[in-house]
Amino acid sequence: MMISVEALGTVVVVATAVATLAPFLLIALFIRDWKRGSVW
Amino acid sequence: MTAAEEVAILPEGIAWGILIAFGILWVILGWYLGRKNKTAEDHMLAGRNVGLALATATAMATWVTANTTMTAPQLALQLGVWGMFGYSLGALGLILFAPLARRIRELMPHGFTSGDFIRLRFGKFTWRVFLVVSLIYAFGWLVSLAMAGGVLINALAGIDYRVGMTVILTVCVLYTLLGGLRAVIGTDFVQTIIIVLGVAFIAWLTIDKVGFEAIHFNLMEERPQLLNLLFPAAIMFLFNNLFFGVGEIFHSNVWWSRAFAFGRSVGFRAYLLAGLLWLPIPIVAGFVALATPALGINVPVADMVGPLVAAEVLGLTGAIVVFIVVFAALASSLDSLLAATSDLVTRDIYRGHIRNRASDHEQFRATKVIVVLLGLVTWAAASYRGELPVIGSLAEVLYFTGAFVASAIWPVVAGLYWRRANPTGAGLSMIAGTTLGLVSYFTIGFYVAALVGAAVSLAVLVLSTWLAPRDFDWRLLAEAEPHSAAPVTRGAR
Repeated sequence: MMISVEALGTVVVVATAVATLAPFLLIALFIRDWKRGSVW
Repeated sequence: MTAAEEVAILPEGIAWGILIAFGILWVILGWYLGRKNKTAEDHMLAGRNVGLALATATAMATWVTANTTMTAPQLALQLGVWGMFGYSLGALGLILFAPLARRIRELMPHGFTSGDFIRLRFGKFTWRVFLVVSLIYAFGWLVSLAMAGGVLINALAGIDYRVGMTVILTVCVLYTLLGGLRAVIGTDFVQTIIIVLGVAFIAWLTIDKVGFEAIHFNLMEERPQLLNLLFPAAIMFLFNNLFFGVGEIFHSNVWWSRAFAFGRSVGFRAYLLAGLLWLPIPIVAGFVALATPALGINVPVADMVGPLVAAEVLGLTGAIVVFIVVFAALASSLDSLLAATSDLVTRDIYRGHIRNRASDHEQFRATKVIVVLLGLVTWAAASYRGELPVIGSLAEVLYFTGAFVASAIWPVVAGLYWRRANPTGAGLSMIAGTTLGLVSYFTIGFYVAALVGAAVSLAVLVLSTWLAPRDFDWRLLAEAEPHSAAPVTRGAR
């Protein structure tokens, strides 16, 4: 049973999108922690 | 000239510039973050109040190693789509550790190491078995990371293996020595951003320049098994990798020290979020390997497929991005392992076996000396790579430790949640699981060692507890000073 081009494309695009957004989420969390004084 | 040197993709001068610039950045950042450390607890656990952003990033960065960025493409090339999906299941280790991290913090508010827990929970026999398993794994991982550093720097830029390995090891030892866990966690945050953005950047450009239609068509023509969802070896690998990842995280002091260091309500959320954000990374990193038939790339060394695709698609820019990503990935794991292993050796070997009454100041000093010694021993072991007759691929070296780590999964879980777990059975389960896991590694293949180790360990632990259950009072973990107390067990009622 072969994976279709559509399924492969969907999985990879979703994974790459999540990976692209991850650093921005971490920076947003850091700013939130900084404002709360809870970085450390 | 080796096969790896033949495919060097980056001019040596640029590589040296990157190594020096980032090396100085990590050391200065490490010194700055650790300058206020006054006690062993500060140095080893960063004040026990790390916030969600840094906690999530350090869990992600530590779990993204050179193995993720280099081995995920290699596995995609060898095992197809299940290779990259299977590798991404390593995220379950982080996700499943989330509730354990919360329980560890609740049960042991003053704990330092995973060894502290095993000793108090299961007694000296199992503690010593655990230390052997844990230190073999930690040392194996340290040496393989140092070797990977030398191999990758050599392969990417043609810099001599020993020189590259020495540089990366020296940089990591220096900033870990200066700043302890604060330095490790602070640099991990920056390294996570670099690694994830770099990997995603290469994937987007590969999608844009090659396209899924071309990738799929060429794979169907040349290597259709890589698209097969019923590829037997790949499915076995998927389950093996699940147990391997869980075993690595559940037993290793790298993850326990973070559970102790994160703020009281942070551990669960940090590990859960880190797992969810880590999940797509092996798919993103591995996918680019599937583009090799479409790009017509000849891959002389399987480990090098990721950088080769990046260089083909992006030219010099791709080579620079890959080099920075690999350097950051290596440093983020090496520093964590140096810090956590020095903590384990300080608490469980130095204080546990040599100097029981060591003061806080003596432990503070010891942990720094041990970081340097670990660096030297790792350097010596990794230096002999060229003289060893057989060094497997990165994946084979990595999965050799699978038997060790997977055999520790159930003793750790039972220790935290199963009041009646038999303490001696926990130690025997690690011995039996490791032994049969190694037998399967050599007789069947690298992709089953963790699976067998975990299964055998579970059977021995359940059987021993069924035959001779022992009660345990959880409060002893919170109240007892780690090295003054023997485990307290009572016969089952």
